[in-house]
Amino acid sequence: MSQEIAVIGSPAFTTGFQLAGVRKVENVADDEKDDDLDAAVEAVLADEDVGIAVMHDDDLAHLSRGVRQSVEASVEPTFVTIGGGASGASGLRDQIKRAIGIDLMDDDDDASAADTEAGD
Amino acid sequence: MAQDIKPTRKNLMEIEDRIDLSERGHDTLEQKRDGLIMEFMDILDQSQDVRSGLEGDYETAQQKINMARAMEGDVAVSGAAAALEEYPEITVESMNIMGVVVPQIESTKVKKSFDKRGYGILGTSARIDEAADAYEELLESIVLAAEVETAMKKMLTEIETTKRRVNALEFKLLPELHEGKEYIDQKLEEKEREEMFRMKKVKDKKEAQEEAADEAAAAESTGA
Repeated sequence: MSQEIAVIGSPAFTTGFQLAGVRKVENVADDEKDDDLDAAVEAVLADEDVGIAVMHDDDLAHLSRGVRQSVEASVEPTFVTIGGGASGASGLRDQIKRAIGIDLMDDDDDASAADTEAGD
Repeated sequence: MAQDIKPTRKNLMEIEDRIDLSERGHDTLEQKRDGLIMEFMDILDQSQDVRSGLEGDYETAQQKINMARAMEGDVAVSGAAAALEEYPEITVESMNIMGVVVPQIESTKVKKSFDKRGYGILGTSARIDEAADAYEELLESIVLAAEVETAMKKMLTEIETTKRRVNALEFKLLPELHEGKEYIDQKLEEKEREEMFRMKKVKDKKEAQEEAADEAAAAESTGA
């Protein structure tokens, strides 16, 4: 069964994806994110035609705890957050810490912090 | 828990079988956990490469669309975005890594030629085309990231489950079974000691009775 890609976020974030052909778009204006973003994410979670959902990493902060946990744990659809740097989603990082016992994504941050300190 | 078991030889043999099975299960699960972690490390390396590529593509796409917006205006960009007729599709197939089913995502219709984009070539500028190109590339990176990150999530869930099972066997079930075995061993030894003591007592009593009978017989014969 073929599925589609969905994008959730402000119109400024989603327009580019629409240019690439994405038609499942949940537009939520920046000043309405605290109220409406949860509902938009839940709509995408409930849509069986969506295989991948794209969000901006900063938007995760506007989600309620429960919805955020659903986003971080969801496999179908898979949520891909962008704009949060090379370490990726924080949920994945926490899961790695829990499962393996060490923060395997810590290397980059430590290296960049060490570089900054050396620069100072 | 140990006090609930009836201290019989049959229960002792059953407990010993369970200890044997649990220890073998514990070793197997430990090997599975270590194997999963090794596989996960490979995927993690791949994921970090994909992530940095994805963030790079996102920055490029943002620069291109900002340029298009600045030069052509928001309305022109939104108009071109609304005109698209073909949308990207993904197909998910599965692959098995050490018993964990991970997805293999294939995308179609992500990269499109100018004539498939729906907006006229004359009505839009090259900047909008460049932005569309950049976002198509970003979508391809997103599909790759989704595949790798889903595999990571599934492997992490399996690692956590296996780790919990290993810990449950190591710190709960096996200590309880060993405690049970020790309890039955002690009770059986105690029973054995009691039995020995009882037998000794019976023997002493029997010997005393025999001696008394012998003495009585000797006294009778002397009197006669």
